[in-house]
Amino acid sequence: MRGNTICRSLSVKHENFKTCAQSGFCKRNRDYADHASSLSSSWDSPYKLDSSSIKFSNGVLSGTLLKTIDTTTAETVRLPLIITFLESGTARITIDEERRQTGEIELRHDSKARKERYNEAEKWAIVGGMQLSSGAAVSRDAEAGSTKVVYGPGSTFEAVIFHAPFGVEFERGGETQIKFNEKGYMNVEHWRPKIEKPIEEKKEGEDATSEEVAKEIGEDESTWWEESFGGNTDSKPRGPESVGIDVTFPGYEHVYGIAEHTGPLSLKQTRGGEGNFNEPYRLYNSDVFEYELDSPMTLYGSIPFMQAHKKDSTVGIFWLNAAETWIDIVKAKVSANPLSLGIGGHTDTQTHWFSESGLIDVFVFLGPTPKDVVRSYSELTGYTQLPQQFAIGYHQCRWNYVTDEDVRDVDRKFDKHLIPYDVIWLDIEYTEGKKYFTWDPLTFPDPLGMQKQLDAHDRKLVAIIDPHIKNEGGYSVVDELKSKDLAVHNKDDTIYEGWCWPGSSYWIDCFSPSARKWWAGLFQYAKFPSSAPNLFIWNDMNEPSVFNGPETTMPKDNLHHGHWEHRDVHNINGMTLINATYEALLSRNKAEEKSLRRPFVLTRSFYSGSQRLGAMWTGDNQASWDHLAASVGMILSMGISGFPFAGADVGGFFGNPSKELLTRWYQAGAFYPFFRGHAHIDTRRREPYLAGAPYTEIITQALRLRYSLLPAWYTAFYQASTSGTPIVQPNYYVHPGDEKGLAVDDQLYLGNTGLLAKPVTSEGAESVDIYLADAETYYDYFDFTTYQGPGTKTIPAPLEKIPILMQGGHIVPRRERPRRSSGLMKFDPFTLVVVLGNSGDAEGELYLDDGESFEYEAGAYIHRKFAYSGPTSTLSSEDLSIEGKKTKQYLQTMMDVRVEKIIIIGAPESWKIKSEVGVSEEGTNKSTPVKKAALSWHAASGGKAAWAVVRNPAVAIGKGWKVDFAS
Amino acid sequence: MKRVVSLLCLNYAASVYAAGGEGSRPRGVGPEFAKFYKDAVTFSCITNPSVNIPIGRVNDDYCDCPDGSDEPGTSACAHVSPLSPHTPVDQSHARHNISLALPGFYCKNKGHVPTYVPFTSVNDGICDYELCCDGSEEWDHVGGVKCEDRCQQIGKEFRKLDEARQKSLGNAGRKRKELVAEAGRLRKEVEDRLMTLGTEIEGSELKVKQLEGELAEVERREKGKVVRSAVQKVGKMGALVGLAKQRTQELRETLERVRQERDSSRSRLEELESVLSTFKEEYNPNFNDEGGPEPDAAHDRDLNAITQSDKENGIDWEEYEGEEDSDTDVLYAFENYLPVSLRGWVDQKLRDLRVTLIDSGILADTGSSSGESKAVADAQQRLNSARNDLDNSRKSLTEHKEGLDKDFGPDDIFRALKGQCISTDSGEYTYEFCFMDKTTQKPKKGGGHTNMGNFVRVERMTVDEDLPPNGKGLGTCERIAMKHENGQHCWNGPNRATTVILGCAEEGEIWKIMEEEKCVYRMEVGTPAVCEALGQAVPKKADGRDEL
Repeated sequence: MRGNTICRSLSVKHENFKTCAQSGFCKRNRDYADHASSLSSSWDSPYKLDSSSIKFSNGVLSGTLLKTIDTTTAETVRLPLIITFLESGTARITIDEERRQTGEIELRHDSKARKERYNEAEKWAIVGGMQLSSGAAVSRDAEAGSTKVVYGPGSTFEAVIFHAPFGVEFERGGETQIKFNEKGYMNVEHWRPKIEKPIEEKKEGEDATSEEVAKEIGEDESTWWEESFGGNTDSKPRGPESVGIDVTFPGYEHVYGIAEHTGPLSLKQTRGGEGNFNEPYRLYNSDVFEYELDSPMTLYGSIPFMQAHKKDSTVGIFWLNAAETWIDIVKAKVSANPLSLGIGGHTDTQTHWFSESGLIDVFVFLGPTPKDVVRSYSELTGYTQLPQQFAIGYHQCRWNYVTDEDVRDVDRKFDKHLIPYDVIWLDIEYTEGKKYFTWDPLTFPDPLGMQKQLDAHDRKLVAIIDPHIKNEGGYSVVDELKSKDLAVHNKDDTIYEGWCWPGSSYWIDCFSPSARKWWAGLFQYAKFPSSAPNLFIWNDMNEPSVFNGPETTMPKDNLHHGHWEHRDVHNINGMTLINATYEALLSRNKAEEKSLRRPFVLTRSFYSGSQRLGAMWTGDNQASWDHLAASVGMILSMGISGFPFAGADVGGFFGNPSKELLTRWYQAGAFYPFFRGHAHIDTRRREPYLAGAPYTEIITQALRLRYSLLPAWYTAFYQASTSGTPIVQPNYYVHPGDEKGLAVDDQLYLGNTGLLAKPVTSEGAESVDIYLADAETYYDYFDFTTYQGPGTKTIPAPLEKIPILMQGGHIVPRRERPRRSSGLMKFDPFTLVVVLGNSGDAEGELYLDDGESFEYEAGAYIHRKFAYSGPTSTLSSEDLSIEGKKTKQYLQTMMDVRVEKIIIIGAPESWKIKSEVGVSEEGTNKSTPVKKAALSWHAASGGKAAWAVVRNPAVAIGKGWKVDFAS
Repeated sequence: MKRVVSLLCLNYAASVYAAGGEGSRPRGVGPEFAKFYKDAVTFSCITNPSVNIPIGRVNDDYCDCPDGSDEPGTSACAHVSPLSPHTPVDQSHARHNISLALPGFYCKNKGHVPTYVPFTSVNDGICDYELCCDGSEEWDHVGGVKCEDRCQQIGKEFRKLDEARQKSLGNAGRKRKELVAEAGRLRKEVEDRLMTLGTEIEGSELKVKQLEGELAEVERREKGKVVRSAVQKVGKMGALVGLAKQRTQELRETLERVRQERDSSRSRLEELESVLSTFKEEYNPNFNDEGGPEPDAAHDRDLNAITQSDKENGIDWEEYEGEEDSDTDVLYAFENYLPVSLRGWVDQKLRDLRVTLIDSGILADTGSSSGESKAVADAQQRLNSARNDLDNSRKSLTEHKEGLDKDFGPDDIFRALKGQCISTDSGEYTYEFCFMDKTTQKPKKGGGHTNMGNFVRVERMTVDEDLPPNGKGLGTCERIAMKHENGQHCWNGPNRATTVILGCAEEGEIWKIMEEEKCVYRMEVGTPAVCEALGQAVPKKADGRDEL
């Protein structure tokens, strides 16, 4: 490792980020919870639902919660409650504050901020599924002091609302699944004026007593009015305003979600104890430099969606709040009978959610399967964008390719080494002095020539555009930003200035419609000089990252469009930028192109809903084996969180990977939905062709494997875009009934192809253990070795081998001809791999379209179901598409694209004597004789399954056909 | 597809010489493989002849042969490569290495040079005119693509360029010859000088011997008639002071020089600081290591003080010179008169001096403290001067010998170019390469130059690059390279280093400069000095198979 420039050990600077104790409302809510818990049953939650206020109509229950703030005077605060029941079976609890709604509060420091609690998160996050339930009804058999609403599919769901103290329990099939405020942690910090107290003289020993008093009432005022951290002071013009509530999942031992964190997929407890975290999981989008693994620390993005899972049952909640949020998790072992320990016992997962401002606004999903929960969540927040096909090929990135000639050289070298790739990326150095929408005239004198060379092989360029706009004279973009007043404001309501890559900068406020419109204008070909249609965009630093701001981001009292405080909208900020860029890319190509093409935007920061707009990656990871290992769990977590288009920097961003690590990372990366190699500016070059023998060859195999499976990947993306299905799936999602595998997070299934990959993430490995959840037969992808589930199997994994198994019962589409880019595979023939399962049947899907336009929305696509039936020994292709205006035209262009090969794994012995199969295709005359195709059968040997090949059946991929193995 | 690095620097890696009649070969088959496709009924896979298929399966867009030889005209066997993932389906017929029997799809390129294009490029909808100017590899017109035959035009351009290149090569060859001659002349010069030096040394040695004899004789004669003279008045102390004075002056000069060096270092430092401060401004403060050099004004003051003349500095030499009774210990107290910050440094120097004094017998020679006669002194001086001459000659001899033994590349050729510089603009810098010396980066916007490495040795290295049509590139072969190391240190990185790889060109010219990794550069440079290798390498005949 000569010349390794990074020899210090990398680690996050904890002092730059708040612990719970340093975050006022986090400490207050934890203290409140501790206080409630310490009193146990004698704790009286001060929130009561005024029974007389309850109304129910059209699936909406409304009422007023009264919070008692003074027990002697019985003074209360009015908190409007709405519980909405949706047709989809999802319920929603929303709690606001009346006085804030009506604006009867005073803001300190003459603040121009809004008086309401932030109620626009749904404008950004929610795009569908809000149809009110027509069948929901108030049940008459509610017990006294409670209201019961029956709803959901077949009226199998119930919500029981307790009036005093307020609480809600959700039941499915008569069994309680989720309880709100069971622990009495509910806390809505109502608005109050600041009462200036006379400054008391501090005496020795007095601190302790006053603290105790504060603790007793759970109200430590020291963090109510202003908070300082790292030299920045938050003016908090509205004082304390946090919201929190406990959510218990009785009988559920595993909870997943609340991305983005580095810990295991199955979330850990956060209240200390062996192997547990001591801090709550935090969601406050931040540019965390050199982030650490196995940590509840916040990262770049937030998805406040959690699933709880137990054998054969999944439920979930979505906490719709964009402010800083923390989640405590405690798993309480409950034994039914203290005398028979362990028998009849179970674990309850108790979670405690609190946010610094905004509403309590929670969606409740009752499953019962992981698919149902993720689909319901995705229905609300939107499905993954169906990306252009190039976006799921391989992306080559580096900070930085330093000149346009450098880019062209890398492009040529990939071709020279016959390595496929689709996209090359430019980090910040391509700009002139970090001014976005410019090119450095010395290093990038010919951007159009560069883009043209890439386009010659249907490749793309992605350039970075960040939200910070350099504050420099004579830069038209900043001049316009200022003169049009489209930037984020500071607490005094004038333009906010901070520091980022360019030095002094302003931040576009994409919450503003006029700012988004202006942003879109910047991407017009005429406005963004030397930009070509094969240029796409990377939005980085959109947390936003502000080098000199508190916790490397903006002050919370900054003001956005509509005078919402940054505090209220922080976690949504990143999404507003890629939303604006997405819209910009859509509008730029109207005139210049023959048809509208799907935008591609990569984002680092995200929130629920960002999946509609592009891809994410896990930010600045490190070239180490543990970061490689962690990436698998993180990507799986994104998948079940409704944002499956996720990846990690292949090779690791910081540091130089050994060649073995780099090779293993490419093998793992071939199973990331977003597959990009990236490297820090201080690292050595590591493009695949530089690794040398045998590494380059092995890496190329991994890349070509990815490309050969693109039809399967694209189909998985299509499924994600229509039902929210994760593209790579964890064991519990595929096998929800397998109790033993609920925490497995180091292996992944590709869509519903039955392909199970176990990336090698340790140095010098010669084999891996892979977990098989069911009693199905699995086959090694490369040599057809048979593994019988269930159980843990050891499979060989020398450096040149990616451990992948094929689960019996599936049919996987492939395209085996290596090409320079995915675009050049458009008319290549298909190979179908039929993996026979225990039942003797198999099934698979293929979705195909032009891979770039929106014409699939008008029916220009192919969607087939392939089914092999054991009893009849036939393989057939059935149409799953719905014909549209452009179907015929598209099918015409794909007319000559055929199935060239069918491989049957686990082929029956009886085929030994067969030499051909019958092939019939739709549209051929009934009287024409059935075509024949050659069949060759190969016997099982040495633990390897028997297999057979149908030679060139030559059936069209877009047509119905049947291959008869019996005739 | 076995990759063999050719020792030859082929102009066109993939070029193939047309041979044999056109005949009726299957699509994509090159003439040298025609013989395998003659049978009208059966085709035997080329490297797996035990595998036989009906001739109708040749070029039917389905891969039957394990070596892909049944699909010379389609992309059906493009995956037959160690670069592709494989399963038993691809290896069903026998145990064998997965590699293609054919170099690619044969483009006849009538009007130009025939070529093999990789099977991965066949019928992918892209016209690969760079290799296949006749467009024949897109015969299936997938997606409606039509690749017209452009060989007439491309061939014409190629021949024009080729002609120019050949002409240029000829010129370059001549230039190289001149350089070889020049190198030879320079070498001869050195050799001649060596001879002269040898003679000089012999003479000097004789002279020294003779003078030693003379001195001994004078001393013998002078013995006994030594009188205490005015010189004696100076005494031991005086001699020491004289020496100390002289030494101090030397030290002062040294200091002055060190200071100048420091100043130039400082200007470089300032530049670095400005780089750092830019970096700081542009860098996330979270991870910006604070810390720059401390301002060294205080140190500078001390240096100012010591470089002033002695009087101003408080050292009154006369005081010592007159003080007969002083002990030599004063010498050791000398440092007390110096600014504290320099005391340690000077102390060390004085210790060195003392050692020198003892070595030359001055401090120990208590008996001969009296002054010597002029005759002795003169003889001594003559001897010293002769010894000096001898030393100088010997030093010069060593230097020249080293110069002669140094590796100046084949034919000693870089001797002729030593110290010659060429430069080019790239991005915001001008880059300079000086043969056998160093590489330098100079910002166009002004500011200090950055040493990118000092020459250490000539090496040979294998390169695998494209050769652009104008010939200004390295191609695929073994090349002469010059290693430059220990350039200016990189912030948070290594000392800069540059590898200069040389290709043949008519004129010295930097073709390309790349930063391969942090502060490790690679320059591709054209020079006539390396043309012979290329000249020999132009192939009479090559089938180009290894290159695909």
